[in-house]
Amino acid sequence: MSDRRIFVDYIARTEGDGAIDIVIGPNGEIKKARWEVWEPPRFFEAFLIGRKYDEIPEMVQRICGICPHGHHLAAVRAVERAMGVKVSRQTTLLRELLHYGDWLQSHTLHVYCLAVPDYLGYESVLAMAGNEELLPVVKQALSLKRLGNDISVLIQGNEIQNRTSVVGGFTSVPDGSELRKIKERLKEAKDFALATVRLAAKVASQDPYPELVRKCEHVSLRGEDRYPINEGRLVSTEGLDVPDWEYPEWLIEKHVPGCNCLHAIVKGRDSFMVGPLARVNNNFDLLSKDAQAIAREVGFSAPSFNPFHSIIARGVEITNAIDRAIELIDEIGDPVYEEPKYEIKAGEGYAVTEAARGICCHGGKIDKDGVCQAWDIVAPTSRNVYNLEKDFEYFVPKLLNLSDEELTLKCEMMIRNYDPCQSCATHSIKVNLRREG
Amino acid sequence: MAKPTIAFFKFSSCAGCQLNVLNLEPVLLDIVGAVDIRYFVMAKRENFEGPYDIGFVEGAVTSPRELMELKKIREECKILVAQGACACHGGIPSVKNFSGMTQREMEEKVYTELWDLKSFPAHGIDYYVKVDAYLKGCPMDKDEFVMLVKSALKGLNPLFRYHSVCNECKLKENNCLVLTKGIPCMGTVTAAGCGAQCPSLGRACEGCRGPASDCNAASLARTFIDLGLSRDDVVRKFRKYAGNTPEFSKGAEAV
Repeated sequence: MSDRRIFVDYIARTEGDGAIDIVIGPNGEIKKARWEVWEPPRFFEAFLIGRKYDEIPEMVQRICGICPHGHHLAAVRAVERAMGVKVSRQTTLLRELLHYGDWLQSHTLHVYCLAVPDYLGYESVLAMAGNEELLPVVKQALSLKRLGNDISVLIQGNEIQNRTSVVGGFTSVPDGSELRKIKERLKEAKDFALATVRLAAKVASQDPYPELVRKCEHVSLRGEDRYPINEGRLVSTEGLDVPDWEYPEWLIEKHVPGCNCLHAIVKGRDSFMVGPLARVNNNFDLLSKDAQAIAREVGFSAPSFNPFHSIIARGVEITNAIDRAIELIDEIGDPVYEEPKYEIKAGEGYAVTEAARGICCHGGKIDKDGVCQAWDIVAPTSRNVYNLEKDFEYFVPKLLNLSDEELTLKCEMMIRNYDPCQSCATHSIKVNLRREG
Repeated sequence: MAKPTIAFFKFSSCAGCQLNVLNLEPVLLDIVGAVDIRYFVMAKRENFEGPYDIGFVEGAVTSPRELMELKKIREECKILVAQGACACHGGIPSVKNFSGMTQREMEEKVYTELWDLKSFPAHGIDYYVKVDAYLKGCPMDKDEFVMLVKSALKGLNPLFRYHSVCNECKLKENNCLVLTKGIPCMGTVTAAGCGAQCPSLGRACEGCRGPASDCNAASLARTFIDLGLSRDDVVRKFRKYAGNTPEFSKGAEAV
């Protein structure tokens, strides 16, 4: 008997360019299980050297069009830590609301446009829209995604790249009456958020997904008094609990013999998962009451080590995002413009945010003139590559009775569980780039 | 008339311009109904070979594989559109062209395994092939995208603006950031079409849409010096989103 190969050269419905290459031996043993990111590198960490401190957040948000705010806010906070800049309570709250807008946009995009078509047997959400029964759901999903985008547009002027958010605060703030209009729309969207969790739980309960459980370490931020999005301590399901700025010491990359890529591990331990499931597992008690209730209603219990529960976790986080955004709008009230004020100082700073798809780490050194001397970036997807390869190794042998076509789809779904950003991953993981030419 | 066939391609970039197509939520299903999307890997699992009527290319060209693909895409598409700052002018990836480091030095800063890297200076796609239309900005303006698709459906030339962001700022009756606050704004030399998005929100224009026609970048560079910017600051302003262009190069080299 010869080897069986599962190969996808360009994985659809993910951000960026990646490939799957799995080789299964005659006795069902996995000879090779690789997720290869072949997106070309862009050298952010190199060209940021010599740029001004305020250009760092401006540029790094352009690493990824789907989680720009995660990168942007991590870099803003790292620069502020380096230069000892303190920001107002209003700025902290507006940043949190801005980032929740991004989560709503990104999670809704992922659940309905990238993930659910697999479970319902469609090639895309556009094909789903062709089914009259599903069309209303697609339309509601698009309006929820729009709502997330509208939060971003209201606060920073654009869906994607920040216009107003800068070191020290904002160059302009939204009108309170506009924020309250958003609040009304959030209230109206709540039922659809709950329906999203129910749909996610239903599709993830189909055979064989409930059986696909693999215990691994889940790493995320943990909020002090609220669900983490822009700040918190770095924690894990295996007891890691350190300040976020210590990430370079605890989350490290090592060479594995026989493989060209560096593998992300927790110091002294093994591969780990980041993203919504890790966040929900580590912060279940900090979710809004309704988010906890709907999770319990659909039978989700934390911690869950089934990566196919990631879609449920996204639904739960959509619910939490709506509840939290409403609270934030109430607390912000009528924002007043505050001029960003600070002195340029030499320093070193690191910070972590939770991008929709997991912890996003930035930090480096700035000199006395505000010029960047070094910058470190580790995007969420690069943390997940090694862990996903372990999912392949563990789950594929359980699915060998499937046809090549079905097994290929299941492998793609294992990747889509992580909602990867391959553009993010490329420049910072030392990826096994596909040979060219 | 048959629906025009459309394809979306991505080179070195953040995928934000493709996402901005999906960010057209209120009209997305109308657009999907009016055209035939044949290739859009980020959104669809079933994709088809060319030829296509309109091809949208996001991203800068930075590798031999991308260059090879771009040439094939040009042959396959009747109308080829550069989508966003990276495809139009090189965008943020082109910042590396002016880092003062060699390609090898940059590679060593970021990667440990260099055996497989084949990266060259980042350029917009018209450095290599003929481009029929440009959707400028970082990210591309989604209303301009809709206008282009509508024009194509009607067989008309889309109306793009070639004047500067300054004009749009005046139409909005904004206070000028340069004149009233001394903020170094690139609006006078940058192509309009964004509705002066940044200056309207108190943020200096950073030039993400590239040069306006007949812009005087050298003069603006000298104004920046008068505002107290260092020579390096001025160079950084012009070598950002469209540093490859002859117009912005004049700004970078004027001081």
